[in-house]
Amino acid sequence: MSPADRPALSNRSVLGLPLLASEISVLFRRRRTWAMLASLALIPVLIALAVRLTSSRPSTGRGPAFLDQVSQNGLFVSFVGLLVSVPLFLPLTVGVVAGDTIAGEASAGTLRYLLIAPAGRVRLLVVKYVATAVFCVAGTLAVAVSGAMIGAALFPIGPVTLLSGDSIAVGDSIVRSLLIAAYISVSLLGLSAIGLFISTMTDVPVGAMATTIVLSVVSQVLDSLPQLDWLHPWLFSHYWLGFADLSRQPILWDSFGSNLILQAGYILVFGALAFGRFTTKDILS
Amino acid sequence: MKRTWLKWMPALAVPVLIASVAVAVPVAANAAVNLPTKTPSQVLALAAGEKVTALSGTLSQTSNFGLPEIPTTGADASAGSAIELLTGSHTARIFVDGSTKQRVQVLDTMAERDMVRNGSEVWLYDSKKKTAAHSTLAAGATSPPLTEGSIPTPDEFASKFLSSVDSTTVVSLGDDLRVAGRTAYNLVLTPKAGETLIGSVSIAVDSETGLPLSVEVFARSQEAPAFRVGFSTLDLGTPDASLFTFTPPAGVTVMTKTPKAQAPQTETPRNDTAKPTVSGTGWDAIVALPAGKNTARATSSPLFAQLTTSVTGGRLLRTSLINVLLTDDGRVFAGSVPLAKLQTAAAAAAATK
Repeated sequence: MSPADRPALSNRSVLGLPLLASEISVLFRRRRTWAMLASLALIPVLIALAVRLTSSRPSTGRGPAFLDQVSQNGLFVSFVGLLVSVPLFLPLTVGVVAGDTIAGEASAGTLRYLLIAPAGRVRLLVVKYVATAVFCVAGTLAVAVSGAMIGAALFPIGPVTLLSGDSIAVGDSIVRSLLIAAYISVSLLGLSAIGLFISTMTDVPVGAMATTIVLSVVSQVLDSLPQLDWLHPWLFSHYWLGFADLSRQPILWDSFGSNLILQAGYILVFGALAFGRFTTKDILS
Repeated sequence: MKRTWLKWMPALAVPVLIASVAVAVPVAANAAVNLPTKTPSQVLALAAGEKVTALSGTLSQTSNFGLPEIPTTGADASAGSAIELLTGSHTARIFVDGSTKQRVQVLDTMAERDMVRNGSEVWLYDSKKKTAAHSTLAAGATSPPLTEGSIPTPDEFASKFLSSVDSTTVVSLGDDLRVAGRTAYNLVLTPKAGETLIGSVSIAVDSETGLPLSVEVFARSQEAPAFRVGFSTLDLGTPDASLFTFTPPAGVTVMTKTPKAQAPQTETPRNDTAKPTVSGTGWDAIVALPAGKNTARATSSPLFAQLTTSVTGGRLLRTSLINVLLTDDGRVFAGSVPLAKLQTAAAAAAATK
């Protein structure tokens, strides 16, 4: 990842679009990014194979929700895959990408070259954040798409039963899956902002990654303690599993809206903190 | 140096902005409501004359009986289901079109329980157990409740209190309220009887239609309501007709219930042939249940030992609203009264035997 990897930046790039394109292409040319996307895509494959290869049907109420529906309808594979990835695997990969944003460049000694280019610190921060957000979408889609594909390959496909007991056609269910993927991508934006801020504080990318991941676990543990009821609506992981509301009939949009507001709040707070830290920081490497 | 401070300003300003919005929004929503003055009896008449036939809304129910709370983790929150109704909170959506089309959806984590009624056809669906039960109602019968963990609508719940307003109750009006975006009169029922745990019951009566929008039951021993059920959103338009047609999805166990199963529900658990007896009337009534199979099963669970305390003559389940005494010989006495009254009732019942 030397600066030579990046396409030359033109002076006219006021919006930072070339910088963004370069950032995204650097992110997705990394072997680490592809390894993370591949392991995310592997989760639904493992689930589908496990269900396919065991003769006994999983009994109702054991294992993750909806696991027992997988053998009857392949489209449930991506749903189970997302359900399993949301608490740990997705925050893990997002933590790696977000924690690496600034600290990674600092530790590789490329940060000052990036800032010599007429980009400016604010624009670099924004570009780094948008690239992380793109990874959130890519990670979620990796699970959803590979789940749908392996499900279609191994199991019958048919009308999907919603939580409310109503059935919807395959076309409608794809729309709902995309909505769920959008919901989960939005859910991860708050964590990305936290990771970006932590990344501005250190030159050791591993430290920033680990801190971000630990925070996502801490938030979920706090969310499960009823004694901290007052705190729950303020935790960035509070609505992470709320995407089930999109599989009700009619769709319950409340949690989508609350999640959006909550994540926007986290983006503003930690974006402002990252701005304060990064614009006042002495860049030595 | 000055510029450094300026750069940190957004990091300071944003939390302040968010905090002020978080404070201002609830305040604006609860801005003083000034409805035309009415007497308590006029509001009672307004509630009695309620003629809402179609609505769709979201109900939320919270219980705070002063019991210990059981942690629920992530997607699988079934561990505490036995006493979840006593401690936690629930959300349900309700759709009503006329007296014969209803749908209630109890929204659980990653699951849902539905009651769909269309004419005399009733379906009960449970997404977690993957069961659908079909039954046909006799003409004019009321809809059956969902099984365990169902939420009463404010309407049903309020009518329980309103129908028993008598000389033992003082009816007054509190400050006007705003519930689910609608203005409401706050009808407060306070028991006159000295020996009850119930402090008061407040019912928010919609100023326009008379529909009860929320019911809060306050215990004498705590400030927060012990039980609250109310609308968080409410739309008085006719819901989509497709909501009331239900076809059991593939792969679920379909059961057919005979109409006999829809006989008037009693408070007795099934399999328990013993009938409960009620002594006293109004707020300090005591329900007595003779020894039965179910009480023996309940007392053997480890949760029971944790939740109850040993008292003279048996074990006591103490909540802020209801005390339940399980005597050593297996009888059950329950009521919104202090323990001493339950013990007296238990002793009196034993003496007459």
